[in-house]
Order: sequence, then C-alpha cells, then structure tokens
Amino acid sequence: MSNMESLVEAVKAGEEEDAVTYVKAVIEEGHEVVNIVASLTDGMREVGDAFGKMELFLPEMVMAADAMTAAMDELKPLIEASAAGMVAKGTVVIGTVEGDVHVIGKEIVVRMLRANGFEVHDLGYNVNTLDFIKKAIEVKADIIGASALMSTTMPNQRELVKLLTEMGCRDDYHVIIGGAPVTQPWVEEIGADSWGENAAKSIEILEGIAEKIGKNNV
Amino acid sequence: MYRLWQILDRANTGPFCEVEDFNKKIFMPKLKEVIKKYGIKYDPDHPVSDDDDVADRVWQAACELFLEVGVLNVDTHRRIIIEESELKEALYHAPGRYLVGEGKDARWWQDRCPEDSAPPFCIFSGDITCDEEIFLPMTVAYCQEPLADGVCASILEESMGLKIKAGSPVELAGVTEHAMSLRQAAKLVGRPGMFLVAVGTALSAMAQVAVSNDQWGVRYTDARLIGGLSELNIENDAMNKIAHCMNYGCFIGNLTGSIYGGYAGRAEGVAVLETAYHLMGLTIYQANFQQSFPFHLHFTSNSGREMLWLISVTHQAVSRNSRILSTSNGFLNAGSGTEMVLYEAAAHGLTSTVSGGHLWETAVARNKTRNYATPLEARLACEVGHSVARQGMTRTQANEIVNRLLAEYEENIATAPQGKMFQECYDLKTAQPTSWYEDMFGEVKKKVAAMGVDFVY
Repeated sequence: MSNMESLVEAVKAGEEEDAVTYVKAVIEEGHEVVNIVASLTDGMREVGDAFGKMELFLPEMVMAADAMTAAMDELKPLIEASAAGMVAKGTVVIGTVEGDVHVIGKEIVVRMLRANGFEVHDLGYNVNTLDFIKKAIEVKADIIGASALMSTTMPNQRELVKLLTEMGCRDDYHVIIGGAPVTQPWVEEIGADSWGENAAKSIEILEGIAEKIGKNNV
Repeated sequence: MYRLWQILDRANTGPFCEVEDFNKKIFMPKLKEVIKKYGIKYDPDHPVSDDDDVADRVWQAACELFLEVGVLNVDTHRRIIIEESELKEALYHAPGRYLVGEGKDARWWQDRCPEDSAPPFCIFSGDITCDEEIFLPMTVAYCQEPLADGVCASILEESMGLKIKAGSPVELAGVTEHAMSLRQAAKLVGRPGMFLVAVGTALSAMAQVAVSNDQWGVRYTDARLIGGLSELNIENDAMNKIAHCMNYGCFIGNLTGSIYGGYAGRAEGVAVLETAYHLMGLTIYQANFQQSFPFHLHFTSNSGREMLWLISVTHQAVSRNSRILSTSNGFLNAGSGTEMVLYEAAAHGLTSTVSGGHLWETAVARNKTRNYATPLEARLACEVGHSVARQGMTRTQANEIVNRLLAEYEENIATAPQGKMFQECYDLKTAQPTSWYEDMFGEVKKKVAAMGVDFVY
C-alpha cells in the first residue's frame, strides 16, 4: 500500500496520529497538494456515504473528521502557498434557530461540511435571526443553514428568509433548512432554497451549489 | 427527591468543559470503555432479551458512565457530577409508587419488574402536532380510551390562527388553549380528574410556568415532561422548569431519547446511555418518572429489531435494579390506517411490558407529519401490554411472538407507508374510529391473538 493509500485509510479509520505520519510522508514524496486534498476528500466522502447507510456510526465519523482535520493542518502551509489558490468549496454560516437548543443534526452536518472542504461558521444553538445574517455578511457567506427541531421554533426559519428579503440580500445566499419536523412543503411555503432532509442529503445539495458558484476546486 | 439546590449550584460551579470536548473526550470514550468492560453485545435473535445478566451488566455500565461523565450544562459549560453515595441515596429513596390524577379518576402508578403480572401503567399520546380545529376531538378520542391511565395531548402549531413561536406571546396563548382544551376533553368524557401530562405545546420555561393552574391548567396531581439534550446535556431553561415544578408540586417526567446512530453509536451504547438517563432523571431532573424514547437516527422510530432489543434491555436493567418508574414510548414507522403500524404497536407494547416497563403509546409515521396519529394504535399496544402481563407471559415466549411480529413488517421499515390523518381515520363529530379502521384493527388483533397473545377482551 502506498503512503497516499495509507493516509486515506488512516483518515477513514479515524487514526489521527497515523494520518499525520502519512501526510508528512506524502508531502515528503513530493505529491501535489491538490492531489493530496482530493484523495482525502474522496476518502471522507466514502465515510459520509457509509454513515448515510449506517455502516458507520457517528463516533466513527467524528474520529474520521478529526483525522482529516489533523491531516489538513499539516497541509495548510502548502495550501496557502499554492499558486493554484485553493479555496473552500463555499462559505457556510449555520446554526440552530432561536428558542431551539437541539444540535446533534446540525453538528453532523457541520462535521461533514468541514470534512468535505467547506468553510463553516457554526453559530451554535438558540441563534437570533439577525445574527445569522450579520455573520453571513461579515464572512461573505454563500450559504446559510438554519436548523429547527421543534414545530414551535420552525417559524424562525421563515423569519430568516423574510428578513433577508426585507434587507435586500435574499439573493446573496442559498438558504438551506433542516430538522426533524421540516418538510419540502415547508421549504416552499417559507421560500427557502432547499431542504436538508438528512446530513448526507445536505452535503449532496451543497456540493451542487458549490459547483454552481464555481468553488468546487478542492 | 433531594438536594435540588446542590444540583443547581453544581450547574454553575462544576468542572468547566466545552460541549465538543464533553462529547469527544469524555462521553464517547467512556461509553466505549464500559461497553467493553461489561461485555455488552447486541443479540439480533432476541429482540426481547431473556438474559438477566445482560440487563444487570447494562445497569452497572450505566451507573459507571453516569457517575464518571456527569451531565453538561451547555449554558454554563459546567459538568454536574453526582457522587456514588448520592446516587445510592436517591435510588434508595425512590418511592416506586405514586397516586396520580385526582378524585375517582386517580390511579396508582407502581413499579414493575420483568415478567410482572401487574399490567403496565398506560399513557395514551399521539405525540404529534395537530390542526387547531381538530385538537379537541382528537384529545377526546384519546381521553375516552378505557385503558388510558393518563393522557398527553397532541401539540398545537397555531393558536387563534397565529403560528406558535417559542418564547413569544403566541406561545403563551397556545399553551393556555392547549391546557384548557385538554382539561375540557377529560371532563367531556367524564374523567375530570384524569392524570394529564401537559403541555407539550410549551417549549419555553416561561410557557410551562404559565399553565400551572389548579382550575384550568396543569394541576399538582398532573405531570409535565422536561427534556434532556443529546447526549447527557442540560440547559438553564430545563433547570428553570425543574425548579418551578418542584415548587409547584406537580409530577416531573424526564423526557429522553438516546439516538441510535448518534454519539452513543450502536444498540449496545444506546442501551447503556438510555439506562444512564434514568439516573440523570432521578438525581438531576428530580423526576418522578422517566419518559424513554430511544430512536433510530434515520427512521426516527424504535420498532426495528435492534431498537426493540435495546428497549428490552434498558427496561430490564432499570426495573431489575431500581424502583424508577419508566414509560416506554413507541415511535412507529408506518402511519395510522395501515396494518403495519398495528403490528409495530403490538411488538412495542409486548416488548416493553414483559421487560418491566410502562407504556406511553404511541407516535406513528416516524413522528413527522401533522395530524398523523390515532388512539387505535395506542389501544392495541396497551391491550397487548395488559394481556401479556395478566397471562404471565415470559420473555422467552414474548421473544418468539415478537420475532413473528417483526416478520410482518421488518422488511418494510425503510419504505413504511405514511398512512392516513386522524380525521381520515376518525369521525370528528363522535371522536370514534371509522368502521374500516376498526375492522382492520379487529383483523390484526385476531392475528396477534393467534400468535399467542391471550387478549383479556
């Protein structure tokens, strides 16, 4: 097995120390940073797919994401120096809406987005609608994700879309919403852009958005 | 219940920890360690476990997990740690018996053990949101069920045409409407003192406080649920609810649903965690009972084989080792008006009852869509529960029947039919089931009887 293959396997297995060892080895071997990142991303996609099929569970995915992050930390200087000017697939501002403190679904999405090359600003839970928008403006986000687990906090997803419209910046962002009670009809009713039915589906949708906005070069 | 003020103090002074570190460095490694240490292994051939030793090892693992990990207050970033002596004290003092409701409608709710001949305490609940205009007939339908020892109504999404938003004045209007209509429904069916668990529409502590009223709202003979966060997390709003309920004097149910596929991982981890939640409820939430609804991350249900196993093991662990009262909350895949949902209800009611649990029946159609639930699914689960307790069914016998029930629906879990809405299955004027659904109920009941359930009636 080559060092590159070992690196990918280490990330998939969530072996953080091994991932760092092998990423150093492949850097030493002179592999292009773009190729290393692409291999790692493919590996994480496999992890995400396996999680989607429940062949892997959240603890394993968390460990794989941490191994990926450790490997990416080693690559950071090379990425920054890269003439190719590698950029994140997209910048996402995400959080659980005001009044709602449920986070697990949102956290899964955050981990998978980061592992798949998105720049993610996680605002946590109980996030005021205006804070979503202020952060999105500040970091020049492409995507805003709003999660709600309770039917009585879902109105804050509508409020987000409404406020974006009233502030004249609705078209600047792709708004994806999720959470157990959220449905496609609700997405349509409030004028959001897409429904993150589950973590895997959210990533699939946002990969498509990254393609559209021309940021899928990682 | 004990030491509330110490718990509240620890929520502000316990060891500092951020939620990310709590999950990754404290909770997940410790859970993995205790699963290995106590040799806990999922057994797919026994969705109803008959192994006392497994149940006791799950209990020991849960105690060790809870005592070492504690519970994280996500607002103060402090871990609330309970000492072993405090846990033992709380377990010793758990009454194991409460008189709930009032007047002629009051009922004793008593602890059970696996294979107990005493029937389970049955709480009927659709666990779903509903249209404002059907709230009353739907609640009447649940309240009039003969086996209902208590009722928890559906959840309102709108009040006076306005969308209910947590923390807003509309929430206050909605919870008042909910509490008054629930009380009215109980009175209409001639059970004014019925034990009510209310009100699900109230998400915020402010709204819970607002409905504490002995005349039209939640009485001290009623209960309310206070939820935990995934996993082993709590927030200040929940602590406010606890303090209020303790002061007001109503019963507290600690609402917890460990996620299969979440931080607890597989069936073994979920069984240990859900058992640990009972300890959290007893010591931190000052709970009088546990409302337990472990669910599958993808399907939001708990009637699959692995889910029934962990329900079975959890309730055996708790009922063999403590006097904690615990309801097992069905979360079914198929919707009302389908045969599949009735088989699922029977499997859930049977598994929970012979394992020493009480019944909270039942969410259907993956608990996803407004108006999708009826009391008939709950009725079957509870009739099965009463019947198998009365006939003295063993866990070994139950396992055979549950395997046969699973054969009726297991392969269809991923593609379960959504079924029909309450108003399609019930006559809204009479609050009675439609004849076609009652016929379907009767046919499935006959098939379940043929599998070995000796129905009382």
